[in-house]
Amino acid sequence: MLSERFQLKIYLEPSQQFELEALVPVFHRFIREQALKELVIDVVDYGHVPNGPGVVLIGHAGDYYVGSLDGRLGLVYSRKRANPAAEARLEDGLRRAINFARLLEQDSALKLRFRTNELSLRLTDRLRAPNDDAAFAEVQSEVTALFSRVYGGSVSVERIAEERGPLGIAIKTSAVPSLEALLEKLGGPPSD
Amino acid sequence: MTVATTWKQKLSGHIREDWAREIDVFETQIELRKMGKIEEKLFAETRLRRGTYGQRYDNGQRHDGEKTQTLRYPLAELTKGPVTMWDAPGMQRIKIPFGKLSADQLDALAELAEEYSDQILHVTTRQDIQLHFIHIEDTPDIMRRLAAVGITTREACGNSVRNVTACPYAGVCNTETFDVTPYANAITFFLLGHPDAQDFGRKFKIAFSGCKDQPCGLTNFHDMGAIAKTRVVNGEVKRGFEYYVGGGLGAVPYPAALFDEFLPEEELLPMTQAVCRVFARLGERDNRARARIKFLVKKLGLEEFKRLVLEERQKLRTDERWISFLNDLHVTDEKPLRPAGVLGSGPFPAGFEAWKKTNVLPQSQKGYSTAKVTLPLGDFTPQQARTLADMARQFTGDSMRTTVEQNLLYRWVSDADLPAFYAELAKVGLGAAGADQITDVTSCPGTDTCKLGISSSRGLATELSKQLSVIADQLPEDAKGLHIKCSGCSNSCGQHHIADMGFLGVSRNVNGRRVPHFQLVIGGQMKNNAATYGLAIGAIPSKHVPKAVKTLTERFIKEKKHSEDFQAFVTRIGKKEIRKLVDELNVIPTYEQDPSYYSDWGDPREYTIGDLGVGECAGEVVPLVQVGLAGSEREVFEAQLLLEEGNNQGASERALSAMVQAAQALTREKNAYLGEGSDEIVSEFRKHYYDTKLFFDPFSGGKFAHYFFRAYEHRGDPASKDGAHQLIEEAQLFVEAAHQCYTRIAGALP
Repeated sequence: MLSERFQLKIYLEPSQQFELEALVPVFHRFIREQALKELVIDVVDYGHVPNGPGVVLIGHAGDYYVGSLDGRLGLVYSRKRANPAAEARLEDGLRRAINFARLLEQDSALKLRFRTNELSLRLTDRLRAPNDDAAFAEVQSEVTALFSRVYGGSVSVERIAEERGPLGIAIKTSAVPSLEALLEKLGGPPSD
Repeated sequence: MTVATTWKQKLSGHIREDWAREIDVFETQIELRKMGKIEEKLFAETRLRRGTYGQRYDNGQRHDGEKTQTLRYPLAELTKGPVTMWDAPGMQRIKIPFGKLSADQLDALAELAEEYSDQILHVTTRQDIQLHFIHIEDTPDIMRRLAAVGITTREACGNSVRNVTACPYAGVCNTETFDVTPYANAITFFLLGHPDAQDFGRKFKIAFSGCKDQPCGLTNFHDMGAIAKTRVVNGEVKRGFEYYVGGGLGAVPYPAALFDEFLPEEELLPMTQAVCRVFARLGERDNRARARIKFLVKKLGLEEFKRLVLEERQKLRTDERWISFLNDLHVTDEKPLRPAGVLGSGPFPAGFEAWKKTNVLPQSQKGYSTAKVTLPLGDFTPQQARTLADMARQFTGDSMRTTVEQNLLYRWVSDADLPAFYAELAKVGLGAAGADQITDVTSCPGTDTCKLGISSSRGLATELSKQLSVIADQLPEDAKGLHIKCSGCSNSCGQHHIADMGFLGVSRNVNGRRVPHFQLVIGGQMKNNAATYGLAIGAIPSKHVPKAVKTLTERFIKEKKHSEDFQAFVTRIGKKEIRKLVDELNVIPTYEQDPSYYSDWGDPREYTIGDLGVGECAGEVVPLVQVGLAGSEREVFEAQLLLEEGNNQGASERALSAMVQAAQALTREKNAYLGEGSDEIVSEFRKHYYDTKLFFDPFSGGKFAHYFFRAYEHRGDPASKDGAHQLIEEAQLFVEAAHQCYTRIAGALP
């Protein structure tokens, strides 16, 4: 994938009720305990912004958001830096997102549950991936191939109709694997 | 196959040539710095002049609540300024002259926040937009994409002319003398990159106001302020300005001095150029803390400063730009998109009437209104920004303005469209009423992202807003209209000095632990262009601030006389009475009883100011120090009371006495035989704390000690009201610095 920046979102099960605020100490703990092997820097709470990014764990190469930017509550992994290489980028992002979702699910106080069979991908790199048919066609096969391989079963990849937003892609899978199974398939938690 | 090019290639031909060149140069400087071919200090000033700022933790250290961790940035050896790691995220400030935004500009800003930042656009208290958590290497492309829609970040930070602000109602206001927009526009682009405005010792801020008695322009605290004025000359109405210089907030606020009662419009640009030249030539260079023009005006005296400026004015070579803009003062006029209308009789969308009551004002043009969008803490998302841009295209045209109260103002909304306009806002969660009212708390970034933040101003603002929203509907109108402003430190970016209730972050050592506090600042005034600055009454533990606000508001409601506003009310009941409240709220549980008091709002980490990079020095905690410091705080407060009584001399003496007492308390740590004589205290304090730099703050250096030495040197000088006011502010800061120094000596606390 040429896009150097992208956001991969895993949605929370819609029935869940929780206060975003509860994530703030959890994210701080992740930094303190170095729960992620990558460099994470700080926590920002945007809970006051309606339909905002929510609570953000700021990192060097990528950020993690739990919020409702697109109107639905979920976890966004937002890749900011170019590495790894283009062909490994999307899989690496999926691995990080799944790993983070798993860490959140493991926090017994939060009681969060993610639905693994529905994700969205937004290519926040208008230079390399403008929101047009050509860019969608280019990335569609890569997305389909990755999710088919990791999830198994059938995969639906559709362009999200949003004219001036970044190129958005809705991904649905027939299989509903657990986060653990997905992470194992992706090679386990990222090591850096 | 999509061809990946660069933004430079893609936007070639879409950017003003000179701006494109400047950005190319900056990109080259980035590369040179990476190669080690530019010295870090020079690079820091270079990037600051492009609006590219540092952020908290960019020294590679972060306290996690238990210990300081090293943030292992990839390019560990490379810096972008002294003690500023290359890879550490930073802030990009984007100048929005007089806050004016077009729909296309807002779209571009949305894209940048989405692609490079943390999905938030932030409106500042000076009408700028800021993006946070930006990587230095992304900034040239950000600048190019901004330049393509007519925005430059040049001189958004650094020792330069900062964003020129103006009343957001200019041109549509019912009380203005005339529209100041074309003048603000002319001076913005005249001074941008002007050779006479490149060599300052410190920043220079300009503000315009269309009327004298309204708060919108806030000219009184600017380095240069201009208030629209007309005069009849030979039967002809001439335009000009009441022209002010030397105002400023910061740690010690100064009211601007009236330079000229009527500066003719054709003199606005040349006179400002002359002011810039005098500031560049004579302003302080070595001591940043005394380098703003307010100090130069004070040092020289207004008359001498004015003489020098007028002399300089005579020497200037004529520049056709001084008056050419006057040939087309309509260049900034806005045309309404929709015909003037009348608001129908309903039914209206839910929430519309409450919103209209607080957020809508009729314009001077019949059939049109301004509509304010309440942005919580000045924040909004890229998705919301796109909707807001679309609303401009649908309802008003390119006439949006950011405001110093961190909101967004639409102008030229046809009255007939107001319900539909509101419905669109509400769809994206921005239909909240209460703009600029008690629930709409203003705040600087504070400890969220600012390197200088001491307490969490945004955390406090969020909490106050949340708690006050619950009771706001029950409040009478004058209480609803109270303004609350929070700053994370004494630098006053949250403009706490001009609020009804202002708060500035400080820290205190309680029960052997750090506790976040806020100084309560009372007596400030926004109206009359921020005519009066408040003074700190005392520090309140952070977690008790909401209670303080509620109690003060309730007392105001219950005890105010008929038409008394908040300033008149607090003046009548007196600071002593308010101090009682502060004292009552000062008692907090022990850590073991309730550890939440030892964390800040919105940040569960155990509170520390270690992220400020405060140094260490070993020593012993001696309770006598605390007794002395508490005594000095009391004296600062007493000085305020004397000032309130009109006893300027007594107030000055008491403020100095407070400083001496604080210095004595600290110095006894080093010299147990220290006597009571002031000369000895000053001399010993200098020896043990100033010469050793033990008293120095990592960011302010010896600034607060200088306050003390200067005050002592000038003891006995006749004191004016303003002079006494400033001395009290300085005493407050000196005592605060003594607290911090003592905590460092105590050693155990970060």
